[in-house]
Amino acid sequence: MTNTLYAGWRECPEYTASVQNECYFNKTYTHIWTSYRVQLRDTAYNITYDERCFTVENIVHPDPPVALNWTLLNVSRSGLNFDILVRWAPPPSADVQMGWMSLKYEVQYRPRNGTRWEKMDLESGTQLSIYGLNTDKEYEVRVRCTMSAFENFGEFSDSVFVQVAQIPSKESMFPVMLLLVFGGVGLLLLLLLIILSQQERLLVILLPPVPAPKIKGIDPELLKKGKMEQLDSLLRSQNVCKPHSAPKDPWVEFIQLDMEDVVEKSETSDTQHLLGLTHLGSSHALSLKGDDDSGRASCYDPDMGAEPESIPPVREVHSPVVARSSFSTHIHSTTTTPEAAGMHIPVQMQPSSQSWINMDFYAQVSDVTPGGGVLLSPGQQSSTPSKNTDMKKKKEDREEDVAEEEEEEGKLQLLVVDSDGGYSSETVARQQAADAASSRVAEQAYHTLSEPPQPHPQAWQGGYLAPDRQPHMPYFSPEAPLASVLPPVSDYTVVQEVGGSHHLLLHSAAPQASVCPPHPLKLPPGEPALPLGYLTPEFLENLSP
Amino acid sequence: LKMMLLQGWLGILFCSIHGMLGSVLDCEVGGVHCTMSIEMLLDRAIQHAELIYRISEETRTQFKETFIPLALVTQQGHADHLCTVILPTPSSKSEVGQISDKWLLHSVLILVQFWINHLVDLQASLDHYDNTPQDLLDKTKWVSSKLMSLEKGLLTLIRKVRWDVLLFFNKNSIADHLASPRTMEHVMRDYTMLSCFRKDAHKIETFLKLFKCRQTDWPGCSFY
Repeated sequence: MTNTLYAGWRECPEYTASVQNECYFNKTYTHIWTSYRVQLRDTAYNITYDERCFTVENIVHPDPPVALNWTLLNVSRSGLNFDILVRWAPPPSADVQMGWMSLKYEVQYRPRNGTRWEKMDLESGTQLSIYGLNTDKEYEVRVRCTMSAFENFGEFSDSVFVQVAQIPSKESMFPVMLLLVFGGVGLLLLLLLIILSQQERLLVILLPPVPAPKIKGIDPELLKKGKMEQLDSLLRSQNVCKPHSAPKDPWVEFIQLDMEDVVEKSETSDTQHLLGLTHLGSSHALSLKGDDDSGRASCYDPDMGAEPESIPPVREVHSPVVARSSFSTHIHSTTTTPEAAGMHIPVQMQPSSQSWINMDFYAQVSDVTPGGGVLLSPGQQSSTPSKNTDMKKKKEDREEDVAEEEEEEGKLQLLVVDSDGGYSSETVARQQAADAASSRVAEQAYHTLSEPPQPHPQAWQGGYLAPDRQPHMPYFSPEAPLASVLPPVSDYTVVQEVGGSHHLLLHSAAPQASVCPPHPLKLPPGEPALPLGYLTPEFLENLSP
Repeated sequence: LKMMLLQGWLGILFCSIHGMLGSVLDCEVGGVHCTMSIEMLLDRAIQHAELIYRISEETRTQFKETFIPLALVTQQGHADHLCTVILPTPSSKSEVGQISDKWLLHSVLILVQFWINHLVDLQASLDHYDNTPQDLLDKTKWVSSKLMSLEKGLLTLIRKVRWDVLLFFNKNSIADHLASPRTMEHVMRDYTMLSCFRKDAHKIETFLKLFKCRQTDWPGCSFY
């Protein structure tokens, strides 16, 4: 061997014993940055078989790195992948710290039983992260180094084996979560489908249509203008309002008497009020009534009790021209006719007579005086004997009361028309109609909730009530002659005028939706039909808008 | 593709080095308020040296692949054995341990200055080839510029440690330093020159690192 500086050749100092054709020059023989030439010579024959030139730094193969280890960085959420951090130390023989050598490292890894090594990029530091390994595989990792910007790699370090146990709980969570999510989405879709398909029905259920006027069983055509006679006949012949076992008259109970009013107003004052008031804001009353009555039919509603409560304000507004019969009034408006002599007041004695305090709207006729006067009794009693149910009873009582009152009053024939749900008024009206032959009145009467149409066979002249206690009888008697003259007495009839003979002319107000089936007859002719009562969708369908 | 990668890498290097070197130059030019510690200067110098060395290696490899036929390569490998010794420098770790700090730094400076001069010749020679890749030429130019920056930094460093600056200007042509017959082809000569430059760049880097080790007084730096 020779170098460029020295002229002389030096023979191999040590021929390796164990290996053939190998010569070892220890480090005393070489210097860095010095070029050397090696020749393979046959000294005997002076034949040079081979020659190599080099500098030391170009032929350096560093020793393998040491202390290779790994730590787990994290595991993916699904538990299928994990990341590791691999660390090592430079070979002790390399003086990296001083800067004499600058090393670069190459990490390789492969699955345990794989054949191909994955090579990472050259790393000048002593650690490296490997991402995306599978948890179900075991990996083998190794590292080797080379001098920076040189080409010769050293040997590989010893391999380390990397494996991460699977975490079953995490894995099993994942499909469950997916299932839940998909299930929720599916349900939502189903719901949407249902809503879309049943859109119309849902709309009907959620937003019930406003009932249009309709009488059950009657051709809607008849309900249009001008066909009163036919309707009259029809209605009379029908049991429009089906009997139904009324519970105890709840709304009577719920009536809150305004005691002050009661006390204040004496009979006379009431009558005076009635008389004095010629023009009542019918609309006013109506409006009040309107507010109160939200279309709940007095026929059906067990919770009619709520309604009367709303009435007290009306009452206080102006005294009960429109109704508020309550106690005293003995104000009966006569719709028409003739004060026929025959005060034919069917007497149904009310056994009890109560004080004013217990009076409700619908005063009951407790007694009929021989002179034809009617003694009213508080309507709260439930002990009145009656063949009917409580409701009917009440009604009848009222009728009786009215009748009695009529008798009492004699002259004044006023129908007490309540501004509230036309229960009483209707009954009153009914009876009126029956007797007074006011077709319209008669027409009105049919509903009252639970009450069966009451027959009033007795002719009632002058508007006296002739209550007939027999239930389930046709309400309207065909004898009601006076039809055309009178305007229909609606549920909430307002006294329009006081007649000369102390009778009140009723002005039928705009109809209130208080009847079970719609009651277009309450409408004064010419007035627009307002929704009456609660319509079922079937009625709506029948009505052709 | 490889050219593009090299270019891209060079671009990044340029930017990083330029930013790095900028402050050194500003420091010198600005003058007054620039205070750069010896450690900072040294670190900058080492970074320069490392980059220069890496680029020189890449240049050499690229040249070899472009111009040197395979047959010659396998036999010769690196041609740096043909380099003449510019300056007697320590050739082993033990020898380095015997050299003073001052000498180390001066050796580096001499080497840098030598190659600044002779890379110009190399560039001129490279331009004469027909199909020289532009990337190669760019690299050589880049290296030259960085060498000059390194020289300035070294001069600053030497002044800071208050040594006398030995200026060593070797005006001889590179051909004088190649112990090779003149009949050598241009290609081989250029290749040899590149190899020699690479070797010297490695030397520069190593010396600077050793010098730093001594300056920072690391325990691992003790030679004895």
